[in-house]
Amino acid sequence: MSQATPAIATDDAPAAPRRSRGNAPPVLSRNLPLLGHLLELRKHPIELFTRVRSECGEIGEMNFAGNRVVLLTGERAQEAFFRADEEQLDQAAAYPFMTPVFGRGVLFDGNPEQRRQAMKNQSLRDKMMRGHAETIANETRRMMEKLGDAGEVDLLDFFAELTLYTSSACLIGPEFREELSPEYYRVFYELEKGTDPIAYVNPYLPLPTFRRRDRARARLVELLTEVFERRAARTDGKRELFDVLLSIRDESGKPRYTIDQVTGMFISMMFAGHHTTSGTAAWTLIEMLRNPGVLPPVREEIDALYADGREVSYQALREIPRLEAAIKETLRLHPPLIILMRKVMRDFDYLDFTVPAGKLVAVSPAVSNRMPECFPEPDRFDPARYDEGRAEDRQLFAWIPFGAGRHRCVGAAFAMMQLKAIFSDLLLRYDFELTQPPESYRNDHSKMVVQLRQPCRARYRRRSA
Amino acid sequence: MRVRVDLDLCQGHGVCANESPEVFELDGDVARVIEEQPAAERHEGVRLAAKYCPTGAITIEEE
Repeated sequence: MSQATPAIATDDAPAAPRRSRGNAPPVLSRNLPLLGHLLELRKHPIELFTRVRSECGEIGEMNFAGNRVVLLTGERAQEAFFRADEEQLDQAAAYPFMTPVFGRGVLFDGNPEQRRQAMKNQSLRDKMMRGHAETIANETRRMMEKLGDAGEVDLLDFFAELTLYTSSACLIGPEFREELSPEYYRVFYELEKGTDPIAYVNPYLPLPTFRRRDRARARLVELLTEVFERRAARTDGKRELFDVLLSIRDESGKPRYTIDQVTGMFISMMFAGHHTTSGTAAWTLIEMLRNPGVLPPVREEIDALYADGREVSYQALREIPRLEAAIKETLRLHPPLIILMRKVMRDFDYLDFTVPAGKLVAVSPAVSNRMPECFPEPDRFDPARYDEGRAEDRQLFAWIPFGAGRHRCVGAAFAMMQLKAIFSDLLLRYDFELTQPPESYRNDHSKMVVQLRQPCRARYRRRSA
Repeated sequence: MRVRVDLDLCQGHGVCANESPEVFELDGDVARVIEEQPAAERHEGVRLAAKYCPTGAITIEEE
């Protein structure tokens, strides 16, 4: 193996006793000087990750402009990745392209324990879900009022706007949600487009995409500054999450968090819960419309559920298996994040191999979710995979649209409930139809944040009562 | 019936403690099993807890 050079000993541990080391993982071919596999990552990331599996097997090394990323594939290797503790595999520094987006002092700073505390969001606890179901139903109705009887929408715009309102109303607060306008989701869109993998070279290069990213972030700070100045000046009204954070003082009486930092928290919450859900919503509708036989049984299920004019309820949303299966199958085929990364803090051993501290290790949901040994006919959209006897999503370390283990997306249950609430209302009241050739709906993979490529349009018409 | 929670998977959502408060409780960040071999009248609640657990962290061994 050409890459078998020992890792450079770190300065802070010169006298550490030498441990026996396993082999270095094989390095993927076509490793270009300087850039490594970066160009391939920007062009065809899923093909790149798939190539690691077919060429190197369960473990293989990629090179993103000098950042060595060891990709683990297969249920067993992925389980080792997901079960490793945070002191060994850390999320910090694994996502350099996110720092300019979130800002400094947000999310990926601090030690694992501090982050665990910061990430603990009461609003995602099961107890809160009942209220969220109602909030989401209300937001969906407000969007439907804007739709009118018939027309055409761009699915990315429509669901990005809707989920901006649902996510912010549930996770931050109803008053804050009222401050938001379509400008916000457009700003987020610019931020998301600013996650070009070229950031592995340097996230501050003077490129148009990074300039737009920084302008978008500055605009968001400006918008929120105005919101919070107005909110701070008023004497009535509720104190919501961000009002509370902004009112905290440190020992010297200075504000603990600046508006810039709160903006960063807002961005990080939206990155976790917004484009992911909105993209999944759009894909769910597309897949239901372009795969014959999927929509009618889902429709039947929804119609039966609300036949007596009942309101959407949390319990009803838990027992809606056909719609749930359609969403799960969409998530399997179009996971919003196609690669999950960790930094190795302590040498990571797998089989005969050792990944030394300092490198990155990764798992790819896009590869895993289509492994034929776990998902027969992996490219087929087949909601029956989730029927009782098969339950292919119970392969907890293979079906990983939300990741797995301790770092599994904490918003997964919220996201599923949200998608079910949105579609049970939308499909109850509207008929949809794709206006483009079915295969023209595709993702744009040129950025680390995957987005549906525009145009992605659909026609709708209100169902007769 | 014997109940276990895989702490590598649990994230403390609290579904189990809501479904079956006699058998599960939230202990800080994670779920804790109070009654590892629950009495028969609690089996239904335990099965619901396992079914709805968002991380699939609960395993039940039926005896």
